[in-house]
Amino acid sequence: MPPFELKDRAAIAGAGASAYGRRLMRSAIDLAADAIAAALDDAGLARERLDGMIVTFGSPIGADADTLAQVLNLKLRAYNQTWAHGRFTASAIQWAALMVAGGMADYVACLASVSFSGLRRPMMGGAGDSEGGREAGGSHGEDPVFGMTSPGAGAALVARRYFERYGATSAQLAAIPVAFRKHAALNPAAIMREPFSVGDHQASRFVCEPLHLLDYCLINDGAACVIVTSAERARDLRKPPVYIAGMQPLPAGREEFIWAYPGFGVAQQSVFDYEPGEQPVYRMAGVGPRDIDALFTYDAFSILAWIALERFGFCQPGEAAAFTQAGRIELGGALPMNVNGGLLSEAHIMGWNHQVEIVRQLRGECGPRQVAGAKVIQWANAYGDSLIYHR
Amino acid sequence: MAANQDDYPKPRPALSALNRPYWEALRRREFVLQRCGECAMRWYPPAPLCPRCWSRRIEWAPASGRGRVSSWVVFHQSYFRGFDAEIPYNVAEVELEEGPRLLTNLVGIRNEEIRAGMEVEVVFDEAAPDLTLAKFRPRRASA
Repeated sequence: MPPFELKDRAAIAGAGASAYGRRLMRSAIDLAADAIAAALDDAGLARERLDGMIVTFGSPIGADADTLAQVLNLKLRAYNQTWAHGRFTASAIQWAALMVAGGMADYVACLASVSFSGLRRPMMGGAGDSEGGREAGGSHGEDPVFGMTSPGAGAALVARRYFERYGATSAQLAAIPVAFRKHAALNPAAIMREPFSVGDHQASRFVCEPLHLLDYCLINDGAACVIVTSAERARDLRKPPVYIAGMQPLPAGREEFIWAYPGFGVAQQSVFDYEPGEQPVYRMAGVGPRDIDALFTYDAFSILAWIALERFGFCQPGEAAAFTQAGRIELGGALPMNVNGGLLSEAHIMGWNHQVEIVRQLRGECGPRQVAGAKVIQWANAYGDSLIYHR
Repeated sequence: MAANQDDYPKPRPALSALNRPYWEALRRREFVLQRCGECAMRWYPPAPLCPRCWSRRIEWAPASGRGRVSSWVVFHQSYFRGFDAEIPYNVAEVELEEGPRLLTNLVGIRNEEIRAGMEVEVVFDEAAPDLTLAKFRPRRASA
């Protein structure tokens, strides 16, 4: 037994975002200031009360926590941040929940801010591939010596293996970006709002085959932030709390490749038939996949949605291709996914835009794209971490 | 073997104390992998100890240079100017007979003909006077 129970001890008290855009020509600090201010206002919290911060996706693309504290004249008792990588969203919220439970901070702003248009050169993919330059190779499978570069290429490696192993097709995979674009059409904040068809997806150019352009997320500017505090404090603030019922940390090791579940046989993974088994996030929250009213996932590339569904047991390995057809993952379907439009169509704010949407959905604030009666929403990712929220 | 200023237009390997023996062996047209002196495990990329038993008694030893294609991709977008003339170029993941998987380019085959599970063997590509790459080609029927 853990020394203390974290279920429902922490909550999201506020959520906010900057504008999202392809080329806003604003700095990451500038955008972060908008998102933090919006989240504090949403919570009805004075900025003097903010005493903790966790930033994911820091230098060299994002806004760093120490810089933000200085620029915004905050007095932080505690902060932390991750390297410029997208996978740490759930981790940040989990650490924030631990911080408030342990008394290290009372109100923790968790966020990422990105300004790709403000970069002089790309950091991932191509000559500036600092991921590929890591001592034992890049974490998305980069190996620039052979021209292997960019996170999408690692996802393409997984997609090819998935197609070969399970007999699935690119036209089936199109169901993911087609669905998320339909959702984005209902979201005024989304960058890409014009619906497209499976045929449009198939006709879009290959970037790294077998992935088409429309399997790739956006590269953009924007910031999104949520305020984590204790459940008790959250109940005294402006909006109803969104409770964090379940947490599953981010795993690492030789059997983990960022874009695939164990046993898939990419990078140095063994090959075996993956069985999701009992996922800790469900045990902690006291719910199962069938209790989830909407699912959000890190959809930097469309294939990641299939991997996440299978990893967490929404369907069996190899079944996601069929599972995601015929509107099941669309608004009004049995398991609506990424109803904000996702990284594929709303914006790529490293999953923080998804957290903001989850909070708004659980408060019933989403108008035409509201998931009717949403009470339990999950954030669950191809790379194995998860959060379960409820109102 | 230092990263000298030359005309080689593609990214060079980031040499370290760990991986230098691998690249030096390739220049001798030898394909080697680390091997654990305790448990005989083979692995890639290079590591300072055996990933299985943490033994420091490790050595570089010849490997078969044979394997199978486990997955592959084809780049249609330019990321490195040095690769532009080869677009669309393939990058394959090869599972070696010894177990580890590594990334490489397949040569002697059209991209459309690449298949999962196809048998391949190493070919030494003298990319620059001081740089030899381990690429792979379809394995000939009678080796």
